[in-house]
Amino acid sequence: MAKGRQLKRRIRSINNTRKITRTMELVATSKLKRAMDRVSATRPYAGALAEVISDLWTAELANEYALLKHPIPIEKGGPTSVALLLITSNRGLAGAFNANLIKEARRRITELESEGYSVALHCVGKKGAGYFKYLGRPLAGDRSDIGDVPEIAHAASLVDHLIDEYAAGQLAAVEVVQARFESALSTPPALVRLLPVKPPTRSGPRPDYILRPDAGTILETLLPLYIRNVIYRALAETAAAEHAARRTAMKNATDNAGEILRLLDRRFNRMRQAQITQEIAEIVGGAAALEG
Amino acid sequence: MRVLVISPQASKFDGEATSVVAPVYDGEVGILPNHAPFMAPLGKGVLSIRSDGSTARFRIEGGFLQVVSNTVRVVAERVEGENDAS
Repeated sequence: MAKGRQLKRRIRSINNTRKITRTMELVATSKLKRAMDRVSATRPYAGALAEVISDLWTAELANEYALLKHPIPIEKGGPTSVALLLITSNRGLAGAFNANLIKEARRRITELESEGYSVALHCVGKKGAGYFKYLGRPLAGDRSDIGDVPEIAHAASLVDHLIDEYAAGQLAAVEVVQARFESALSTPPALVRLLPVKPPTRSGPRPDYILRPDAGTILETLLPLYIRNVIYRALAETAAAEHAARRTAMKNATDNAGEILRLLDRRFNRMRQAQITQEIAEIVGGAAALEG
Repeated sequence: MRVLVISPQASKFDGEATSVVAPVYDGEVGILPNHAPFMAPLGKGVLSIRSDGSTARFRIEGGFLQVVSNTVRVVAERVEGENDAS
């Protein structure tokens, strides 16, 4: 029965694993719900900001403000450095979630480097930072303190110095690799350009505002808010996507464990039955020999 | 007129009001119904929204005030507590 005991042990171990994955699935489900609420709670603010900026934005202003202006191209001696912000999660066991984000970041880095830019990589989350540290790539920023409940202050501390550097003409662009929360089942990585700001497009006529003090000044105070908000949203969305990815991964793991358990149980029962049959055959054989 | 108070994390107020006094960058601005389209950056201070008999107050900082088609939108970076003082 030595083999049988081994099988029994495997069955027990897989059962325990299944309990863990099922619990993680449930935890991710409840966290996902809250993370999704946070994502949708950011919409009114983001919508209002986007609307106002598109109301104020004109082509003349775009050339005047550092945050809207396109930098001098690299061939003409413009800035050669691009800041890339990679948002990943702090924890693993979320399927290919972090791997996909890292892959997208690597693709973009290669692309930028082949265009002649040098890339300053800022990582949010342990997973991305860990990967690039392992590759031996120096990181310009490494934040793992944000976690899955981002706050607007986190976003501010992440981008404020990038905004300053961009405004000072040291950066050619600021880009973000984040996860897009399309649905609980689809969370693909996405590349978002943060700076220069691409103004949201407006449909319909713009109202004739009384502006105080003037459009330029308002735009100047609102653009940093807008940029911070884009980052805040990216953090919130990536957090929601992380939980969605983890839930899917853990659901698959639980299902697989169930399938393996089913097969092992059957194998164990068959083996036990074979042994019983064999013992009976032996007893019957022994009795027959005695009767002789 | 309709008044909305929006912070980055949530919508804090949505309702009808008869007057709004908001702290903008250079002082306070009062808005009454049917105000012309208006936009200004906000300063730091107390926003009060008056509707029949009651006043809602918020401490706000940063952001902007937008008035368009009889809707006042107060979009602030920080919005804190409402203590009802009627």
